[in-house]
Amino acid sequence: MGMGGRFGSAIAAAALLTVPGAAQVRQAPWRDDPFPSRYMPAAPDDMLLRGATVLDGAGGRIDGGDVLVRGGRIVAVGKALANPGVREVDAKGRWITPGVIDVHSHDGTYVLPLTDIDREASDVSEVASPNAADTWIETAVNAQDMAFDRALAAGVTTIQILPGSTPIFAGRSVVVKPLRAPTVWGMKAVGGVQGFKMACGENPKSWGADDDNDGPTSRQGVIAYMRQGFLDAQAYGRERAAGKVARDLRKEALLGILAGDVRVNLHCYRAGDIAAVLSVAKEFGFRIGAIHHATEAYKIPGLLRESGTCAAVWADWWGFKMEAQDAVRAEAPLLERAGACVMMHSDSPADGQRLNITAAKAAAAGRRIGIDTPPETMIKWTTSNPAKLLGLDRQVGTLAPGYRADLVLWSGDPFSIYSKADLVLIDGAVAWDRAKPRTGPVSDFELGRGGVR
Amino acid sequence: MRTIAMLLGLTATPAAAQTIAVTHAEAWTMERAEPVRDATIVIEGGKVVSVTPGGAVPQGASVIDARGKPVTPGLVSGATQIGLVEVSGSGDTRDQASTDERNSGFDVSRALNGNSTLVSLTRADGVTRALIYPSPSRTPPFNGEASIARLRDRVDILDTSDVAVYAVIGGGAWERLGSRASQWSALHKVLGDARRAMAAPAGDEKKDKKDKREGPRGRRGGHHAGEEMIREVLRGEVPLAIQTHRESDIRQAAALAGEYGIRVVIVGGAEAWRAAEPLAAAKIPVVLDPQANLPGSFDQLGVRQDNAALLARAGVTVAIGQAGGAIHSNYNAGMALREGAGIAVANGLPYADALRAVTVNPLSIWGRGGGMLTAGSDADLVVWDGDPLEPSTNAMAVIVEGRQVSTRSRQDLLAERYRDIR
Repeated sequence: MGMGGRFGSAIAAAALLTVPGAAQVRQAPWRDDPFPSRYMPAAPDDMLLRGATVLDGAGGRIDGGDVLVRGGRIVAVGKALANPGVREVDAKGRWITPGVIDVHSHDGTYVLPLTDIDREASDVSEVASPNAADTWIETAVNAQDMAFDRALAAGVTTIQILPGSTPIFAGRSVVVKPLRAPTVWGMKAVGGVQGFKMACGENPKSWGADDDNDGPTSRQGVIAYMRQGFLDAQAYGRERAAGKVARDLRKEALLGILAGDVRVNLHCYRAGDIAAVLSVAKEFGFRIGAIHHATEAYKIPGLLRESGTCAAVWADWWGFKMEAQDAVRAEAPLLERAGACVMMHSDSPADGQRLNITAAKAAAAGRRIGIDTPPETMIKWTTSNPAKLLGLDRQVGTLAPGYRADLVLWSGDPFSIYSKADLVLIDGAVAWDRAKPRTGPVSDFELGRGGVR
Repeated sequence: MRTIAMLLGLTATPAAAQTIAVTHAEAWTMERAEPVRDATIVIEGGKVVSVTPGGAVPQGASVIDARGKPVTPGLVSGATQIGLVEVSGSGDTRDQASTDERNSGFDVSRALNGNSTLVSLTRADGVTRALIYPSPSRTPPFNGEASIARLRDRVDILDTSDVAVYAVIGGGAWERLGSRASQWSALHKVLGDARRAMAAPAGDEKKDKKDKREGPRGRRGGHHAGEEMIREVLRGEVPLAIQTHRESDIRQAAALAGEYGIRVVIVGGAEAWRAAEPLAAAKIPVVLDPQANLPGSFDQLGVRQDNAALLARAGVTVAIGQAGGAIHSNYNAGMALREGAGIAVANGLPYADALRAVTVNPLSIWGRGGGMLTAGSDADLVVWDGDPLEPSTNAMAVIVEGRQVSTRSRQDLLAERYRDIR
């Protein structure tokens, strides 16, 4: 017998569904994880970091602050903390922030060095159809991508790997810790909200316009495709509940979005594109987690605010295609001041190593138009705000008692180009120690090739 | 004497023979590793007249008060393609590459567009000059000839054309000759044929000399065939720029320079640190991207962020170019240059050397000279609101050829337009 469950015309947001006539309670099928995590935190390195400039990620700043880490968790953040008998680290002149969270990465699928094999058939996007809602990007991730090691050494502790923006329904994301493991499941972070990628605008329509492909060729076609997809999913839900149809992984994933259990990350640039997808979400009764790239979100901050949708932005990618013409470096400070939720994202393994520098560029551009953003606010763009998008905001992205101890001890101001991650803790264990570079992670790919470090 | 407020977008009156005094400057003259404090920089007739601690302001000069902040020579990108591209995703707005199979000469200078939004943003980020290079052509391994651009705020941004012959060697996604062995072979054949032709007492050489009398080199508007430029390479008048990354190719380039007695410049050079000694011995400079620490291709497996520091320590002249890779090297040519220089410092390059890598060195590598802030220097300079190598710093005033130019980019105008939208 297939799964049970009831789907009204409005999909219930409840996680658990009662199977009629059955004793057991089974969770909605889109909540199943066919690829469970095998991540186990390393043995904790308890420590008391003393006398740093602490940016807590949630808007607070303590000069001369201490952070106490025990058993993988943050125990206390404050001044002149008592040492319960743990290793003490002199952090005077240095800064402490939560670990950086990058919500838009293709690490493990856009693996450098690229070769003709990638150009022939890339793992970034599944492009057999504009609907790849049944795909899980983790089944493609190459854990040996050295970009994970570079990210870790740059203070990144959480990465959301998204499928690419060629399909309209691009599939599920995975959230990982940039730690060495033989497979992605040894890196997979749990406890957040399952992410999903969608795309609008030039990328999907260009793919559809190719003679070999069968998909919408215009913006209006892309939006119509989305609406039809959700309508079909609703119909499937009713039929499935009545036991009439076989399981359909694509429709099931879209039902998860409609139920509020699967969170949409939507690749969109132009203001009109963003407004259109926000309308689609409203029509079908779900909330889009974030518009990614969102290069014109600064023109419509109110729409994002009202929708409860964040913007995940670059500081300075612009111009390379028509829909990116109006990107401005000051976007993050403009959105912040307008009360919208904003975060930095990378989309590249290079920029992913410098998300705080990206924030610094954005803040500098804000100064040019009279908007001053203090460091304790800027750091939200790379820590607590991205944590919210991933549904991990009670676990990471903030330095407060009870949070998982994902944090970075920086050699100086984290927004300075000269600063480096001296110490990176993931779940309270030292994952990177700049004083011991030889103990740092090296991917299997790099091993024995000489020269790459 | 009029005081120019240190506000963005406020420019001095564009008088032809403007005298400008930048006061209270932390002036990086590039003569030594330390700046001149509280300097008064006097500019007249497109030249720096003096840089004097606490110096007097000449009668009638427009004054820019630097308020103790750094003032540097205008920054110089060692390699970018601004002015040749507008929307890279759309082929009809690109001018970086030639598909002409009849002429190996592709002089980018005739395509330069000073009205491009990429140029104004680069200038707003403190760049006043840049090497503009061609992309791979139909006559591999040659791309064409590079130009130096002067980022005036008008359409004509050509400084000097035909400053280098540009070639690409190595693996890559573009149309090549197959193995890199064939690429080297083609390069050797062209140089060898030209050398034999020059040695022969034929009439061709006389014709060349006649051509050269038509005007000063570098201002000929690119009507010469590629063969002519190759002879200039062989005569040592211009360098052969070889964009290549792998250690084996870099060593081949050093050998080539010795064999033909020509000037070679390595562009890219991800693995150049592994060949630092032969590069230093052959006096081959390297234009590199200090941001790179992941290999875009197998040629770059040895890429590392202390490349610049290791090369400089070995005595190789280093400039920064193509900074930030695919998107940033054009769309943020100024920001990426500063960010790259900052990363080089963070990875061991002394600060003054990093400043040289974005001022003096690229101009010397590409045969132009200058890039200093001393009496007699070209008056290209930038007043910053902080350390120019920090991405969080803004250029407050940019002076090109002795005139203060606008630092407002299209991005500033858009941001201002939507500043109060809620």
